[in-house]
Amino acid sequence: MNAAGLVLLVCSWGFIIFLNIFCFRKVMAKKEIR
Amino acid sequence: MSKIRDSWGSRMGVIMAVAGSAIGLGNFLRFPAKAAANGGGAFMIPYLAALLLLGIPLMWIEWTLGRFGGGFEHGTAPGIFHSVSRKNRFIKYFGVIGIFGPLVIFIYYTFIESWTLGYSWFAFAGKYSGLHDQASMQSFLAGYQGLEKNSHFNGIVPAYGFFLATFAANIWVVYHGIRGGIEKLCNWALPVLFLFGVLLMARVLTLGAPLRPEWNVSGGLGFLWNPDFSALRSAKVWIEAAGQIFFTLSVGIGVILTYASYLKKGDDVVLSGLTAAATNELAEVVLGGSIVITAAFVFFGPQETKSIAQSGVFNLGFVTMPLVLNQLPLARLFGFAWFFLLFLAGITSSVSLAQPAIAFLEDEFAIGRKKAVAIFAASTFVLCQPGIFFLKHGVVDELDFWGGTFFLVVFAAIEAILFAWVFGMDKAWDEIHKGADMRVPVVYKFIIKYVTPAFLLVILGFWFWQEWLPVIFMSNVPAENRPYIVFTRIVLACLFIVLGFLVRQAWRGRKLNRQPV
Repeated sequence: MNAAGLVLLVCSWGFIIFLNIFCFRKVMAKKEIR
Repeated sequence: MSKIRDSWGSRMGVIMAVAGSAIGLGNFLRFPAKAAANGGGAFMIPYLAALLLLGIPLMWIEWTLGRFGGGFEHGTAPGIFHSVSRKNRFIKYFGVIGIFGPLVIFIYYTFIESWTLGYSWFAFAGKYSGLHDQASMQSFLAGYQGLEKNSHFNGIVPAYGFFLATFAANIWVVYHGIRGGIEKLCNWALPVLFLFGVLLMARVLTLGAPLRPEWNVSGGLGFLWNPDFSALRSAKVWIEAAGQIFFTLSVGIGVILTYASYLKKGDDVVLSGLTAAATNELAEVVLGGSIVITAAFVFFGPQETKSIAQSGVFNLGFVTMPLVLNQLPLARLFGFAWFFLLFLAGITSSVSLAQPAIAFLEDEFAIGRKKAVAIFAASTFVLCQPGIFFLKHGVVDELDFWGGTFFLVVFAAIEAILFAWVFGMDKAWDEIHKGADMRVPVVYKFIIKYVTPAFLLVILGFWFWQEWLPVIFMSNVPAENRPYIVFTRIVLACLFIVLGFLVRQAWRGRKLNRQPV
């Protein structure tokens, strides 16, 4: 794996994992559906 | 219409159900094959652009339209479209696609899903453990599918048995309703799916280089992720990335409309929709982007992996992966984990495909759930048969083209235009934010109104001229298969007409102006 591949893998995985943490933290903190 | 509609039991339940609908076999098989063939890591640039400009906006559109229609006790596209534009008598007929599409996908997807159940058992029982090359594993698959009689299978009976079990499991889940069936299933199936996915990912990433030093995990990840930036100059790569986003998120089918219709008026759709999309991307990019291609590279090397990736998703999942897993310690356990993961991905999708037709009968004809499920089960069981017995004549491919490709893009384009231009962007923006737990960035007002519909029309036009015309005119269909394809088209046309007639009947002679509940 070359450096560019590693950068793209880390950025893509990082973005997706960040999005999941961001969303699930907010979901846990917010109100339940009625 | 005084009957109380079913509803979700928890917020996490609806998120898991929508994510479960989106996470399917494509996340683990189609995504890595597409990425490897379209620029490797560079594919992620158009892929993420399409996620932000097409996938997430369509998610929000469907969640919002679904919740809006649910407020008028409509759970499927005809009623939801009618609620959006009550003055237009014809708009509800566009909604027929939102029932037709999932129904058509259900009738072939259930059979494919049953292969994963069958293979879970075969892996566990060690039925294919003596096979060590592509040819014999392909022969095993062909024997199982009933395409040939060989030393592994003497006919289609085992495949039919697993189909019956899978079909019955789907019916059992939808019979128990939204809260008691679909939500319960997804609440345990999704965590188990991720557990198996992480287990397999960890195993693949610790394979090292068992056969040759240069065939190692780093090389396998590089095969998928090393970018070829020149691929970005090709329009086809951008369209392939947009198509992958489109198919992976289950948008344009009609199932999210139905699921969201069981929300209440004040329930959030912005954060829930984004969370479901993020969960799907986790399964696709992180798990799907590390398991199959990496494992194939380590055991077969770069040249063979290239041809494997081009040989289609079924070959990747049902031929290459069992061969790879056969070579590991605890082969039966990992084989079972792989196929049961695919089965869970499949069943959480197929129950969502069943729901629109059932909701249509319940909401528009006031038929009880048990009776609606019985009608659905009887009709789809008959409709499933051509896909099973005429598989080798291309019937499943034909069903996939119309139900899973053509009408999907058409329906998404209709939804996007309806939402932004008929409903009106200002009204739509207010509707999105009712009960919202986060604000949608204001730039999405522009994206939803102009970029998403334009993006969809470009995809529609490109595919129509480049790929669909030969399919429509059967240019690549062998002469002996043409009668089967024509027969399939006649059945599909009849199904579409029947659904259109049912919509007409549902609206005939009753007061149409349901008030919001």
